[in-house]
Amino acid sequence: MPGTQAAKTQGVLWSWLTTVDHKRIGILYGSSAFIFFLIGGIEAIIMRLQLARPDNTLVSAQTFNELFTMHGTTMIFLAVMPFSASFFNYMLPLLIGARDVAFPRLNALSYWIFLSGALFINAGWLFGVAPDGGWFGYANLSSTQFSPTHSIDFWMLGLQILGISSMLAGFNFIVTIINMRAPGMTLMRMPLFVWMSFVTQFLLVLAFPAITVALILLMFDRFFGTLFYAPSAGGDPLLWQHLFWIFGHPEVYILILPAMGIVSEVLPTFARKPLFGAPFVIFSGIMIGFFGFGVWSHHMFSVGMGPVADSAFSIATMLIAVPTGVKILNWIGTLWGGSIRFRSPLLFSLGFIAMFTMGGLSGIMHASPPVDLQQTDTYFVVAHFHYVLFGGSIFGLFSGIYYWWPKINGRLLDERLGKWHFWLMLIGFNMTFFPQHFLGLIGMPRRIYTYAPDLGWHFWNMVSTIGSLIIALSFVVFIVNVVKTMRSGTPAGPDPWDGRTLEWSIPSPPPVYNFAIEPTVHDRDEFWLQKNGDGHGGKPASRPRAATPQDIAAIHIPPPSHWPLVLALAVAVMVSGLLVSTYQIIVGGLLTLFCMYRFAMEHHRPAAGHGH
Amino acid sequence: MAEAHTAAQQSHGGGHVTVKTYINVAVALAILTAIEVATLYTPGIPHTLLVSALLFMSALKFFLVVGFFMHLRYDSPIMRALFVGPLIIAIAIILALLALLGAFILLPRHVP
Amino acid sequence: MADHTATHAVHDPNLGTTGLDHRKMGMWIFLGSDCMFFGSLIGTYLSYKGKSLSGPGPHDVFNIPLTSYSAALLLASSLFMVLALTRLNENRIRAAAFWLFATAAFGLHFVLNQVYEFATFALDEGLTLSTSLFGSSFFVLTGFHGAHVTGGVLWLSILMVLALRGKLDRRDYTKVEIAGLYWHFVDIVWIAIFTIVYLIP
Repeated sequence: MPGTQAAKTQGVLWSWLTTVDHKRIGILYGSSAFIFFLIGGIEAIIMRLQLARPDNTLVSAQTFNELFTMHGTTMIFLAVMPFSASFFNYMLPLLIGARDVAFPRLNALSYWIFLSGALFINAGWLFGVAPDGGWFGYANLSSTQFSPTHSIDFWMLGLQILGISSMLAGFNFIVTIINMRAPGMTLMRMPLFVWMSFVTQFLLVLAFPAITVALILLMFDRFFGTLFYAPSAGGDPLLWQHLFWIFGHPEVYILILPAMGIVSEVLPTFARKPLFGAPFVIFSGIMIGFFGFGVWSHHMFSVGMGPVADSAFSIATMLIAVPTGVKILNWIGTLWGGSIRFRSPLLFSLGFIAMFTMGGLSGIMHASPPVDLQQTDTYFVVAHFHYVLFGGSIFGLFSGIYYWWPKINGRLLDERLGKWHFWLMLIGFNMTFFPQHFLGLIGMPRRIYTYAPDLGWHFWNMVSTIGSLIIALSFVVFIVNVVKTMRSGTPAGPDPWDGRTLEWSIPSPPPVYNFAIEPTVHDRDEFWLQKNGDGHGGKPASRPRAATPQDIAAIHIPPPSHWPLVLALAVAVMVSGLLVSTYQIIVGGLLTLFCMYRFAMEHHRPAAGHGH
Repeated sequence: MAEAHTAAQQSHGGGHVTVKTYINVAVALAILTAIEVATLYTPGIPHTLLVSALLFMSALKFFLVVGFFMHLRYDSPIMRALFVGPLIIAIAIILALLALLGAFILLPRHVP
Repeated sequence: MADHTATHAVHDPNLGTTGLDHRKMGMWIFLGSDCMFFGSLIGTYLSYKGKSLSGPGPHDVFNIPLTSYSAALLLASSLFMVLALTRLNENRIRAAAFWLFATAAFGLHFVLNQVYEFATFALDEGLTLSTSLFGSSFFVLTGFHGAHVTGGVLWLSILMVLALRGKLDRRDYTKVEIAGLYWHFVDIVWIAIFTIVYLIP
C-alpha cells in the first residue's frame, strides 16, 4: 500500500532525525564523512588534472585557489574529523562497557551542528564564492580589502559552527570516559582507542577556543571595522598566524591520535598478542597531546620570529618525535613473534605504520629552521602532511572501518575486494605523494595553479596525477565492496576476528542498549580474558550470566528528541544572518535561545518513574 | 528526597561550607579590591612592584572565588584537574604569545 | 560478583561511576575551555597594548571608580549566588528565589554599567571598535565578557521564575549549582580583566 509505505518511510526518516542513540549518530557522522571525503577527493583530482601538464588551462587560477582551500578544509574538518567522530560515537561506549554517552541529546546536537557547518562552508560553491584563502586563511589576505567577496565569510562562519560541534562533543566524551566506565575498568584498563580518544577530546576543547578567537577577530574586522589584522593601524597579521597555529598544531594531533588508537586495537587482534608496552603507548599519547601545545610556531619559521623563538620551537618539535617513535617501536613489538593474520584491517594498519613513519621523517626535517626555510611553502611540505594525514590518518581510519564494519553492520566486507582496495590505495598514494618530495626540493611552490614547461617539473607532476587516479580507483573498489555486502554479505556474528575487547562480546549489530548485563572488567583485554584466561594458567574470567527479559525491560533507553535538530537549525539561521540581514541574526538568535530553553527543560520534571 | 540530598552531598564533596564562611570570603574579596584600587592611586610605587602587587592580589581573589564559592577546594580532585589543567595551559600560552609578539622585550626579533 | 540483578536499586542517571554528577563535570571542563577562550582574548589585548597609532589610550578614558563599583557588584553577586544555593539545599525555595533575583539583578546592573561605559567611550571620548587597536581589543574583550554575563543573567532569571512557580526545589540542586559555577566563572574572568585591563598601567 503506497500510503503505509510512505508513512513507514517518514517514520524511519523521523527516527533518524530525532535519534539520540550513539550508534546511529556514529553512522550519521560516518556516512557524512564519506560523502565529504569523496567531494574533497574530487576537488583534489581536479587539481591534479590541472597540474598534470605545464601551462594547463583546465581551471583558472581563481578556481584553483578555491579548490585547494576547499580540499584542505573539507578533508580536515569534514572528512577526517567526522570519521574519527563516528568511531568515538559508535565505539567508545561499547569499549568502556557503557550503554550510551553521558549526554545523548547533546551528542545528537553535535552532529546536526556539524552538518549545518559542513553545508554552510560548501554553500559558497552554490553562490559562486567558494572560500579561496587557503584552509588556514592567513590575514590580511582574508581582510575585506583583499577578499571583498563573501568567500572568506562562508569559510569563517562555517568553521565557527564546526567548532561549536567539536567542543560540545569533546565535553560529552570527556565526561563519558571519566564517568561511565564499566565497573573494574580503571584508567589503565581502558582500551587504547579509548585512551587516544580521551587525549583527543582534551585537545579539541582546549585548541578550538584559540581558533574561535582568531575567527571572531577576523569576523569583527570584516563586519564591524575593527583593526585586529590591519597593518595600517598597527595590527599584526602574525596575531592571526599565532592564534591559528595554537589551534592548528593540536589539530593535527586531533587528526592522528584516533587513528593511532585504532592501530593499537587492530595490531593486537591480528597478531594475537597484547599490545607491546601498552602503558608506554598510553603515556606517549598523553605526552604528544600535552606537548603538542608547545610547538605551534614551527609552522612559522619563515616569518622572522628571531633565533630564540625559532630554536625553542625547533627543539620542542624534535622532542615530540620521541613519544611518536616510542609508539612505532611498540607497534612493531606487538607484531614481533605474533601469530599474524593478514586480513584487511591489519593491512591498513601496517600501511599506517609505514606511511606515517615516512611522514614523520620528513616532519623531523621540517623541525630544523634552516632546512625548513628551503622546504616551507613548497611541495615538500605537501608531501609531508599527506604522508601523515593520508598515509597516517586515512589508512588508520580505514583500518578501523574494515575492523569495526562487521560489528556495525552485522556483515563482513569482502576480503578480496578489501585487499584490492588496500594495494591500489597504497600504490596510488605513494605514486601521488612520493614524487612531491622531489618537486618541493627542486623548487615547486605550493598553491600554484600552473607552471612553465622549462622548469623540469612536468614529469613528476604527471606521475603524481596518475597516482591520484589510482587512489580514486581504489575508492571505487571500496564503494563496490560496501554496496555488494550491505545486504548480502556474510553475516559476521558477534566476534568475527576473535577479538580482545568488550565490543566483540555483544551481537553484531548491537542491540540499542548495547549490554544486556553490565560487564565487570578485570583487564584491558577483558573479552580475551573471558574467552581464554590470562595465559598464566589462570581460569578464564567468568562471562556475564545470560540476560533475562526482566533485565532487558529494566534498561532505560533515552527517548528520541527533535530539539537537537531544531536547535542546530536555529543556530544556522542566526549565523547565516550575518550574510543576509541584521533582522535574521536577531530572529535566529531569539530562536536559538528559545530552543536552548526547550532543550534544557525537556526532561525537567519528567513523568513519574524516570528519575531526574 | 533523601536520595536527592545524598546526590547533592556526593556531588559537592566532603566539606560543608557555612554561610558564615561565604560571608567572610566576600568580605575578604571586598577588602582586596579596595587595597588594589588604593595601591593603584598610591604615588611613588615602582612599576614592577605595582604590577606584581596587583597581579598577586587578583590571583588571591581568583583562588578565593574558585576555592570557596565554586567549592573546588572541597570537591573531587577530578574536578580540580579538569579546571586547573586548562587554566595552566591557557596562562602558559598567553605568556608565550606575549613573548612572541613582543609585548615583553624577552625575545630578540629579526630586524629586516 | 560479575553480575548485577535487574532489581538493582533505581540510581540517579546523572551520577557516574566516580560518584560525581555528569553535568557538574561537564560544566567544569567547559569552564576550562572558556579559560582558553578568554586567555586568547586577553593575550590579544595585551599584545596590542601600547601599540595603537592614534586615538585615546586606556588611561585617558577609564573611569576607575565606576569600574571598581562594577567589580564589587559582581563579587557581591557571587556571594548571593552561593546563598541562593544554600537556601535551595535547605528547601527554602522563596529565599533561594530571592537570592537568585539578587544575583541576576546585580549582574544586570553590571551590564548596564558597561553599556553606559561603552556609550561614553564612543560618544564622549571618540573611542569605537574601529578607532584603534585599543578600541578594537578593549570592546571585543569586555564585550564578550559582558555577553557571558548577560547569558548568565538570563539563565538565573529563568531559574528564579521556575522557583517562584514551584518548579524548582532541592532535587534540582545540581542544576542550580552548575548555573552558579558558570556565574562565578564570569566573576573570576572579570577579576582578571579588571586588573589586567583597567588597573595595570
